[in-house]
Amino acid sequence: MAAVTQDSGVELRRIVRTNEEIKSVVATASRINLMAMNAIFLAKRAGQTALGFGVLSNELRRFAMDLQKQMALLREMTYGSVATVTALVKQARVNRVLERTRKESGGSGLTLIDEFMRTRHGASSVRHREQIAALNRRLNQMIADTAQLVELGSVLARSAKIEAAYGGPFAAALMQVSSDFERTIGTIQRSLENLTKQQDV
Amino acid sequence: MKTARVIFEEDSHKWIALVRDPNRPDYLIDTNEYLVIDNNDAILLDPGGNEIFPAVFSALSTEFDPRKIRQIFASHQDPDIISSLSLWLEFNPELKCHISWLWAGFVPHFGGNKETFVAIPDGGADIAVGNQRLQAIPAHYLHSSGNFHLYDPKAKILFSGDVGAALLPPGEDGLFVEDFDRHIRHAEGFHRRWMGSEKAKNDWCSRVAQLDIEMMCPQHGAIYRGEQVRRFIDWFARLEVGVIRG
Ligand SMILES: [Fe+2]
Ligand SMILES: [Fe+2]
Repeated sequence: MAAVTQDSGVELRRIVRTNEEIKSVVATASRINLMAMNAIFLAKRAGQTALGFGVLSNELRRFAMDLQKQMALLREMTYGSVATVTALVKQARVNRVLERTRKESGGSGLTLIDEFMRTRHGASSVRHREQIAALNRRLNQMIADTAQLVELGSVLARSAKIEAAYGGPFAAALMQVSSDFERTIGTIQRSLENLTKQQDV
Repeated sequence: MKTARVIFEEDSHKWIALVRDPNRPDYLIDTNEYLVIDNNDAILLDPGGNEIFPAVFSALSTEFDPRKIRQIFASHQDPDIISSLSLWLEFNPELKCHISWLWAGFVPHFGGNKETFVAIPDGGADIAVGNQRLQAIPAHYLHSSGNFHLYDPKAKILFSGDVGAALLPPGEDGLFVEDFDRHIRHAEGFHRRWMGSEKAKNDWCSRVAQLDIEMMCPQHGAIYRGEQVRRFIDWFARLEVGVIRG
């Protein structure tokens, strides 16, 4: 019983860590949209001199919108996992009180509480293991999906940098925008790598 | 753990007081819980806080099968009264909890659902336990604004919640009041500060003076018996309440 309580404590801390990492990914991703808008604006100003960049900036904008959708899913998922975590904390607290009750009881009270804890523990620990496993599966899948999407963004950013070089008088500005893009996507990629590592532990 | 003391028994009707846990941490106020049994059916009065659940449960199960407790009576909404609700529900999800309608939307924050609560109207209500009917007696504003005591006409016992409560020093914490004058000194400060309304106090005094009471059982402190009950009502009627000092 003590082990179960402790396990759920470890599990909880892990989920809280994951949620914090997701929050930072979401925050970084929110900057991407603004950058994409900026890239389109610049491409329009550059006009004929940066046709290639113009095409890419539209792609980047589409990527930014997809990323936003993905982030909304992740946020929802985070919310759901908080609900699961809360239920687990509550169960762990009940388990602790029951354990204390067991220690204080004797005779028929002890028999009763032993029996109760056995059935309760059996049922709830199986349910919890399932809940946690499902949570982890969904999270892993979502992180993988996000990583794939972000990889596409990274390719777009690199191409944008190449196109920027052909931007004539706008080359410096275009380079600036696409470098920012690449850096931000790099940050998201590192966060996602951290998340994957945490899941593996 | 606490001690289970049988304070009334006649036929299959029984009152058990769950009292005085020597291992209770001193930052928790001491509480008394009572179990009323009639014909193998039982109601638990003010089951107490989360922290003392182990002490209450273990003492109770020395006298009665806790699975057979069908109802809970909560005199009011305080944490020392009812915060253990969710734990009792773990054992019996069908438990009914009787409480003032005023708190029926608040106490579910401690646990339970729509089916758990039976709201008592301001005027009071009867609660059936086995073949007996117990009466929820209005005691509003003493101290809680939605507050009930529970009267048992068969045992002639009044469960009086926080009214009659005393904060007893070690060595003077017997289950029954022995010397009324000595005892009441430990009740005075509590009643002045916690009880908020003169009018409500006077209403209560005249209401319970009409009941035939042989024992008055508070949620904290010691039980008043016989003539001490009358003396308590007189004392309370004269006491100035709702004051911070003095
Ligand atoms: Fe109270
Ligand atoms: Fe109290």
